[in-house]
Amino acid sequence: MEPSSLTLAGSTDAALESVLTEEIRSLMAPPPESTSSFTALLELPRTRAIELLHSPEAPNSPGVAVPGGPAGPPLRRLGGDGGGGFALAVGSDLAARYPALFGEKNDSLETSSQKVKSEPLTESDSNPNSSPQPLVSDPTVENKGQRPTKRKDREKKAKASAKKSKNESSEDAEELPYVHVRARRGQATDSHSLAERARREKINARMKLLQELVPGCSKISGTASVLDEIINHVQSLQRQVELLSMRLAAANPRVDFNMDNIFAENMSLVDSNFPSMVMPFMWPEVQVNESRQPYHQQWQFNSLPQPVWGGEQDNHNFITPENSLLSYDSPANSVSLHSRATENGAMQVD
Amino acid sequence: MHSASSIKQKFLKKWIMGLQLCNSSKKNMTIMERRKAIKLSADLALASVRNCTTRWSRALVASASQNDDNQALLQHIIGSDAAKHKKASIDVVANSTTSVAKKIASKKILKRSWGIRRVRKLSNVALKDPPYSIAKRLVKKRTQLLKNLVPGGESMDAISLIEETLDYMVWLRAQVDVMRSLARASERLDGK
Repeated sequence: MEPSSLTLAGSTDAALESVLTEEIRSLMAPPPESTSSFTALLELPRTRAIELLHSPEAPNSPGVAVPGGPAGPPLRRLGGDGGGGFALAVGSDLAARYPALFGEKNDSLETSSQKVKSEPLTESDSNPNSSPQPLVSDPTVENKGQRPTKRKDREKKAKASAKKSKNESSEDAEELPYVHVRARRGQATDSHSLAERARREKINARMKLLQELVPGCSKISGTASVLDEIINHVQSLQRQVELLSMRLAAANPRVDFNMDNIFAENMSLVDSNFPSMVMPFMWPEVQVNESRQPYHQQWQFNSLPQPVWGGEQDNHNFITPENSLLSYDSPANSVSLHSRATENGAMQVD
Repeated sequence: MHSASSIKQKFLKKWIMGLQLCNSSKKNMTIMERRKAIKLSADLALASVRNCTTRWSRALVASASQNDDNQALLQHIIGSDAAKHKKASIDVVANSTTSVAKKIASKKILKRSWGIRRVRKLSNVALKDPPYSIAKRLVKKRTQLLKNLVPGGESMDAISLIEETLDYMVWLRAQVDVMRSLARASERLDGK
């Protein structure tokens, strides 16, 4: 997967953006631990999430005049079309789900769009091991209906008038017992339809994300067809997994994946991904069972230091595992190791 | 992406571990058994890398743990996070076996109670419109299909289902990438 361009959402109004990110940050009061693997893999939807988050800023006009609302809980308009609220709902939910994106203590909000995205990179680098904190599905699944709704409504209130945002951010710091929702003009305002509308908006926002993920789905309109495409995509992926496992089973007379295989495979992985990474350094973490065949002794890379991810030289990486490999007393593999070392060296030169 | 490939490599590492274990346990396997073992190890490695924070990974682990043959493999791959996974998998197993029917039944009861109250309002909405009802039916059918596809998706509402699908798709893609590169590498090595 190629890293998608991070300059996608940099074209929005700086003031509104800063307000919004500040609002979001106030909502995400305790920033949870950094991203686990999900945001790392989910590169495109992350930018899409940010895009969804920031895009309604521009068309949205702050300070929309409220037509004479009814008494009781104040009903205010959603900004512009409903799209603003949708995307904000997405934004707040996504902010809940990709906390590393929005949870940094970032002071300079003017360049927040760039910084917010560069921060999670560094943070995810520092925490490559995923934290136990769930990202996609909260442990409190039952509260999911309430919390995002509250956040979304807070978002809506902030979006309504940018000037009032500071007051509202102070108001909304605590949990609201009631759900204050803006109803659009001419729509029913009882709680059921509002809740239903909120739910529909959530579903639509997530469907948009899915559309971004599945190739060729952005042009399709209509939930049913999009779902169809998604189903086809998932089915094709699962079928690919089956086919690949069959291929692997056929290619190896026995399921023996020795180090040569791994090295060569790491070369292909590394070539396709980040060039300065070498896999074998992660093997030291492997716990080797003593009852294994001596064939598997290659796994004992206890002497290898932990990698420094940045600023490695490929030559250095290559020499070290080969040295440690060559020091093993598995004569059956020494010849193959020598040959493999030369091959790896040759491959590196390419 | 820096961490993306590190994740893939973590997955690869665990997968290879699982495969080694499989290999050491049985000597000669037919191609079908091999394929199954490979796929199983891959799935388990995927689920374990995801650390069982998502529903589908827990469902994968749970369904794998129900099969007694895979216990050793399961233990080995998942062994490091044993407590968390056991709890999660027990949770999922309990959910899937006993209370799916109950959940569905309770949802139906809820819907019926709502429907009685809101039947008037709903009639105002263009529900009688044939295209609308057809679309609704299509969507329902397709969400049912999707629920069958995504592991552990039967007992989820639409919102979490979509999120799970999102997550699952991304991880499936990573799995396919890793498997494909390994297959290519092993084929190249064996001189095919």
